[in-house]
Amino acid sequence: MIWQIDLSVLSLIVLCGFATIMVKDLLSAAIIFGAYSFLMCLLWTEMGAVDVAFTEASVGAGVSTILFIAAAYQTTRIVKPRKSGRIFAKIVALAASVAMGLVLLAAQTNFPGFADPESPASLHLSPYYITQTLADTAVPNMVTSVLADYRGFDTMFETAVIFTAGLAVIAILRRVKHIDRCELPDPYTISAGSQDNIIRFVSRQLVPFMQLFALYVVAHGHHSPGGGFQGGVILGASFILLAITYDIQLVQQRMNEKWNILLGNIGVLIYASIGFICLLLGANFLDYSMLSKILPATDPVMARSHGMLGIEIGVAIAVMAIVVTIYLNLASNGKLDKGL
Amino acid sequence: MEYLVSHYNYWVYILLMMVGLYAMLAKNNLIKKVIGMSIFQTAIIVFYVSTGAKREASIPIIAHGHGHDAAHTVIEAAHYANPLPHVLMLTAIVVSVGTLGVALAICLGIYRRYKTLEEDEIQEQLHDSL
Repeated sequence: MIWQIDLSVLSLIVLCGFATIMVKDLLSAAIIFGAYSFLMCLLWTEMGAVDVAFTEASVGAGVSTILFIAAAYQTTRIVKPRKSGRIFAKIVALAASVAMGLVLLAAQTNFPGFADPESPASLHLSPYYITQTLADTAVPNMVTSVLADYRGFDTMFETAVIFTAGLAVIAILRRVKHIDRCELPDPYTISAGSQDNIIRFVSRQLVPFMQLFALYVVAHGHHSPGGGFQGGVILGASFILLAITYDIQLVQQRMNEKWNILLGNIGVLIYASIGFICLLLGANFLDYSMLSKILPATDPVMARSHGMLGIEIGVAIAVMAIVVTIYLNLASNGKLDKGL
Repeated sequence: MEYLVSHYNYWVYILLMMVGLYAMLAKNNLIKKVIGMSIFQTAIIVFYVSTGAKREASIPIIAHGHGHDAAHTVIEAAHYANPLPHVLMLTAIVVSVGTLGVALAICLGIYRRYKTLEEDEIQEQLHDSL
């Protein structure tokens, strides 16, 4: 922990935060917010949270930024200045946030110092995870073992929440019938870069490597940073790249809406059914050690490792399908014909 | 000085939360409000992750740990960062992109109906229709 690096990254983050709020153009705000996410990612690497940093780099800096740009494309990128007589609202908002800040400042005096190894959060539950992960599960990356094994219930419902978010986006935006479509002015033109042959060629060559890397991230999550969430987002990002550089039709031909929803279901079901198999074999729900009865040549410890791989694959499939669904619906305003 | 070095992190998180809350309350544009919500969210996430940091500790991946032959080596909890907040916040980040998608979808739905994203213009149209 080098506090000089920490401080400079933190001040850049605050600067980016202010700039995102102040700037009068939604496209610039989205890009600055992407920079903010990348700086967060540096901060987390510096704190030793490599898995969180990886997730932020793929989700926060990648997919969130492109979702903001898609929303600005379908609506408008200009933030109109507020009409007069609304100064009062600004003062109230400022007072509320300053009051919250003062309360939190009073609370933080009781907190343990930053990076204190004796802080309460590091003394009670986590030493067990750190010392026992190899003996219990043979997985050296303890973030993966806690995510997929010790706290497997938690992760299962997080996956279900993501699936629900995808369904909610479809329910809000998707217009299937022609009558349902209301006429909108043509979307605000952001760039004509998608007609560029160089961009199309480079991104088309990039897609298979991205997908291979995503599969590596899923499969190697036991030994290195990564896992189902990050791999799934990268897989989804490869389809989003195709949709941006070519058009949505190209992605629709390869992975249409029906397949997307089906894959989202299959991902969550893989997770839940591995849990049920454990239940049928006589153990608790998601207690993978019982899988050694049906997996050839595995003892209970390795069975937990393999069980984790199974549910990571389920998570990756669900996350990929939902990320692609959310992007396609936002970028085409629910029509899935043409967009960003 | 020691107190300053061990607590300035918290002050920055509080500052970020204030920025996020201000944007949610004061900004007129709905997408700006969503960005404010995301800033508030990241401030909370960074606070949680910072509770897992330990001085002189490594990343939470055990070096040279292959299979369970390595299970007999002694592992000290103080040598690795606390993995629990990392796990909780990792899933929170992925869920946040889902909720962001829903929030932006609602913004698009509002734009479809009112042809504007500015809060005061939407309010005017609501008053006129009454």
